[in-house]
Amino acid sequence: MIAAALRPALGSPLGAYLRLEIRRQLRNRRFLIVTMALPLTLYLMYTAVLKLGADTPGAPSLASLFLASMATYGAMAAAMSQANPIAVERATGWTRQLRTTPLPRIGYVLTKLATAMLLTVPAVALVSAAAVVVNHVDLPLATIAELVLAIGIGAAPFAALGILLGYLLDVDSAQGAMTLAFFGLAIFGGLFFPIDSFPEPLATIARVLPSYHLGQVARSIVTGASIGLLNVAALAAYALLFGGLAAWRYRAVERRSGA
Amino acid sequence: MNEQPRPDPLLAVAFTDVTQRYGDVTALDTIDVAIPSGQTVALLGPNGAGKSTAISLLLGLLEPSAGRVATLGQAPRAAIASGRVGSMLQSAGLPTAARVGELVDFARALYPSPLARDDILARAGLEALAGRRVDSLSGGETQRVRFALAIAGDPDLLFLDEPTVAMDVESRQAFWRDMRALGEAGRTVLFATHYLEEADAVADRIVVLSGGRVVADGTPAALKANAGERRVRFSLPADASNHLDRLDGVVGVSRHGSDVTITTRDADATVRALARSQVPFRDIEVVGPDLEGAFLALTTQSQPIGATR
Repeated sequence: MIAAALRPALGSPLGAYLRLEIRRQLRNRRFLIVTMALPLTLYLMYTAVLKLGADTPGAPSLASLFLASMATYGAMAAAMSQANPIAVERATGWTRQLRTTPLPRIGYVLTKLATAMLLTVPAVALVSAAAVVVNHVDLPLATIAELVLAIGIGAAPFAALGILLGYLLDVDSAQGAMTLAFFGLAIFGGLFFPIDSFPEPLATIARVLPSYHLGQVARSIVTGASIGLLNVAALAAYALLFGGLAAWRYRAVERRSGA
Repeated sequence: MNEQPRPDPLLAVAFTDVTQRYGDVTALDTIDVAIPSGQTVALLGPNGAGKSTAISLLLGLLEPSAGRVATLGQAPRAAIASGRVGSMLQSAGLPTAARVGELVDFARALYPSPLARDDILARAGLEALAGRRVDSLSGGETQRVRFALAIAGDPDLLFLDEPTVAMDVESRQAFWRDMRALGEAGRTVLFATHYLEEADAVADRIVVLSGGRVVADGTPAALKANAGERRVRFSLPADASNHLDRLDGVVGVSRHGSDVTITTRDADATVRALARSQVPFRDIEVVGPDLEGAFLALTTQSQPIGATR
């Protein structure tokens, strides 16, 4: 039913562009490693091979908590992945070529946004599947679906950040800046080490980062707790902030590139 | 803005008093050119003459500093949005990791009434390459993919900016064979080139740009006839001081080391003046008008030959 409803949309210029972009990304080895192979490997290393830490009875298992962290990590990587392609395609003139076609001008950046958000799905789904299959984490399909959906939507600030960097920086600096921002957010947002173990003021800084809030949303879902309003509000605020900045840079670049 | 006369819908392309400046540089200087539907027109000129600027204006990638530009009788961006215009920009990058066939499918989805997929691949000579990734293609093959994207929408009007730049001689000839076929099918084709042979062989009409101005506009035959100019060639020691451009009839002078070529309206007068002068020339010869001569004469008035940037 969903597929039938989507068919006309996929035949449209925007749908066709989205399909092309998803295919291209899924063919990109670097993308697959950073968004899927790396979080999956880390997850299995921590929880199935090294078995770091022991579970406390009555508390959520480490296998489920670290699943939330690595799903968030993979989704963040996927959401921010469009920084470099945007910088490259602006430099090579592909965006200019697109402006000479009937694709609406806003279509380019909208497609990048949709690509970034949609590509979080396989990243989250893969780690969830590993948690269920390898670690026998008790995760009903409905919970996995909720996790995929919530993280996908919650990744909006990161998608906006990736687009912002792609329009802000040139090819040489975009990839580096993205990597730096990404690992900074992942490490200091408590995705690798729980922030309970952070000394002050690091723990306070962590609680301000969007990565921390997305991680909290994911943890709430896997542990069956209700999603914190504060987390949702923080992510929405970051989405507005990065989205606003990205829109401002996008307009500036569009104006400069003429007409 | 709102008192403008309606653009003529039968004109594929119309420049009305168009000037384009980049800072202090005037790329186009009060250009007036109208191209009726169905013509194949070459925009000929040395690099920096304003060819790419003209095409960018027609595609709505630039707004003119002054004057009006109409594409298919509308504002350029409206014409682009209608899907009746195809374009091949100079060295526009293709998205990495995409396959040739996927790009063609994508391009088809952008236009309301595209050509058939196989037709596009055949016309662009890409049948064997449909499954290849664009990053693995040679320069000439990449250029053919750009051409495929340009024709995918079955456009009424086609812009090609230096389309054969990365092609070898053979692909170039094949490319222009296809282009002629497109022109014969009633499409309007405007292509920029600095290859004279291409303009002569393919175009119904040649617009010569130099230094941002239209210095000639006509059929290849008319251009040759009108030129009427001859060239006087001789050798001259490189250090010989001279004021050859002041000789009778001279319209242009160029020097490559000791080789001097003078373009003249009146070869007899120039040769007589040369003989009277103290210029120590050797091996003099007078050559009749041809397209090359016409082109050089036209473009050298504002820019020295050989200094094509």
